Amino acid sequence: MEFEEREVRLPRGKLRYHQGGRGAPLLYFHSAGGFRASAALKTLMETRTVYMPIVPGFDGTELADGIKSCADLAELFAAFVDSVIKDPCDVMGHSFGGRIAIWFAARYPEKVRLLVLEAPSGFRPAGSPPPRRDQAAMFAHPENLPASEKSAEATAQNRKMAERYHQASDMDEELVGQLGKIKAVTLILHGTKDGMIPEASANFIKSRIPISHLVFVYDAAHAIEVDQPALFASLTGDFLTRGQGFLVNPGSDKMEAMPA
Amino acid sequence: MKFSYFHLMPWTDVTEAGQDWPVPNFQFDPKKGTELYRTYIDSMAYAEECGFDWVGCNEHHFSPYGLMSNPNLIAASLIQKTKRIKIAVLGCLVPLLNPIRVAEEFAMLDVISGGRLIAGFMRGIPHEYVAYNVPPSESFGRMLEASELIRKAWSQPQPFGWEGKYYQFRAVSIWPRPVQQPGPRVLMSGSTPESARFAAQNHAKLGIVRLTDLESVRDCIKEYKAAAEEAGWTPEPDDILIGQYTSIAETEAEAKKNLEGGIDYFLNVLNGGIRTAAQLVLQKTRYYTKPTAIERTAQRVAVLKGMSIEERVDKGLVLCGTPDQVVKQIKNLHRELGMGVINVVMKVGNVPNDAIHRGMTLFKNHVVEHVRDL
Repeated sequence: MEFEEREVRLPRGKLRYHQGGRGAPLLYFHSAGGFRASAALKTLMETRTVYMPIVPGFDGTELADGIKSCADLAELFAAFVDSVIKDPCDVMGHSFGGRIAIWFAARYPEKVRLLVLEAPSGFRPAGSPPPRRDQAAMFAHPENLPASEKSAEATAQNRKMAERYHQASDMDEELVGQLGKIKAVTLILHGTKDGMIPEASANFIKSRIPISHLVFVYDAAHAIEVDQPALFASLTGDFLTRGQGFLVNPGSDKMEAMPA
Repeated sequence: MKFSYFHLMPWTDVTEAGQDWPVPNFQFDPKKGTELYRTYIDSMAYAEECGFDWVGCNEHHFSPYGLMSNPNLIAASLIQKTKRIKIAVLGCLVPLLNPIRVAEEFAMLDVISGGRLIAGFMRGIPHEYVAYNVPPSESFGRMLEASELIRKAWSQPQPFGWEGKYYQFRAVSIWPRPVQQPGPRVLMSGSTPESARFAAQNHAKLGIVRLTDLESVRDCIKEYKAAAEEAGWTPEPDDILIGQYTSIAETEAEAKKNLEGGIDYFLNVLNGGIRTAAQLVLQKTRYYTKPTAIERTAQRVAVLKGMSIEERVDKGLVLCGTPDQVVKQIKNLHRELGMGVINVVMKVGNVPNDAIHRGMTLFKNHVVEHVRDL
């Protein structure tokens, strides 16, 4: 399964996006590193159609007029859903993309079925350790990075671009205010070796989103889907298929075979 | 100096040496067993009166080597019979068990005891993997993952799930939470430099209970301290526990006779069946990640088998003699290793229970006061 790069014209300008896979739609917001076709996403694409819009200014795209914050991005991507996906869909976001996903789910609950937040940024409770900048903070298994990984310079340029869209503070109070508005059942993922986002952040988010589940992914740093592609794909795939039912071990039972 | 009174709870009515695996349980007499458990538990509870700081138990399966398939049951019993002594479960065989069950039981013990638990996370000895049908080659990986999961279960303020290589749980929120936060103090075995390093990286107390010479123990302690510093903490003397078979009697001859008989029974009878299984595990699986560890284990057994009581005393591997002699031996051992806890094992093999009781009383009246301030 491969992504195909496309472009759509929206009321606020053109937007580039990647699309791939088959099945129910999954809207994916990339991290501050930009587009990455991880092995985990490719596995999900076997049963999901993944739509990954490129945040304007990332990966060599142009900035969009009037889009200056994550709230603006949520509005832009709502128009993307209306224009391209058309129906409510599952939403997933990694790190910076998790911020966007929170804004999106809070502002447009009617467009979101289930929400997956992979180590979202923006929440660093007082007393948390500062983020580390070494590679191990991001990747416990850098050997898993796809061969198509972009250059360090391009990634750094993307990261700088991310700062344009949110205030640089430990606790993004505006973002905190959105958590309670999320209606979708939410899965929060945190790597046990994440050196960028503290564990306290995951607990904080869990305590504020009304119906949410926090899962620690063992032996994963900040880029969980890179470090543990099989675990990530099976866990999120199960959640996206069964919703809260993912809490129950189905064994060999098939839901279809169970009495109504 | 602190002292832990540790018990293996052996079954001492086995008469045949060289048992095969598994040891047939027709040799166990349940009626006698009831009395034996009572004797052992009373002995362990008496440790508090004798000035011991910890009372320790551990987990073994399918052999007369030890009758504690679940040490937490013994710990629960000891909590009811004691008031201040630390309850040291040394420990649960974490790679063999459901880690959430371990977290829950340890939390219960900690709450019931008012925070007196010391929680041992152990890999076990090789034969346990045959008993519980867990691949020995997964031992270390399971140990790593389960240790982290148990601590998470103790400390997480929110319900959480766990997606790992060996363990998957979608929603965990243990009740009760332990008294000690972020969790009971953990102790791990560190009889090799590698395992000592692992204990330090996990901010655990270090336990070295299988001694063949003090030089290798010093190496492990050195490795433990270095790894702790790298991990950003400094171990206290109390964080290092050293095991000692102990025999205290009115006369040196009696103490030696008791210990000699006990060690002989331990090595040749109680160890028989489990040694067969251990050899299978070590030869046929990757229980140890390094081949040198297999050689090291074989050498250790060979060295110990050929050693006299006098040699063991001289080398600092056992405490044996009159109270005065034992006081001197403890002082020497402390000077050599600088540990803060000695794990006293008096029930070695089939040492008579009344001799142990007398030895404990001698410890109370004539030993502990002279070494408490070390």
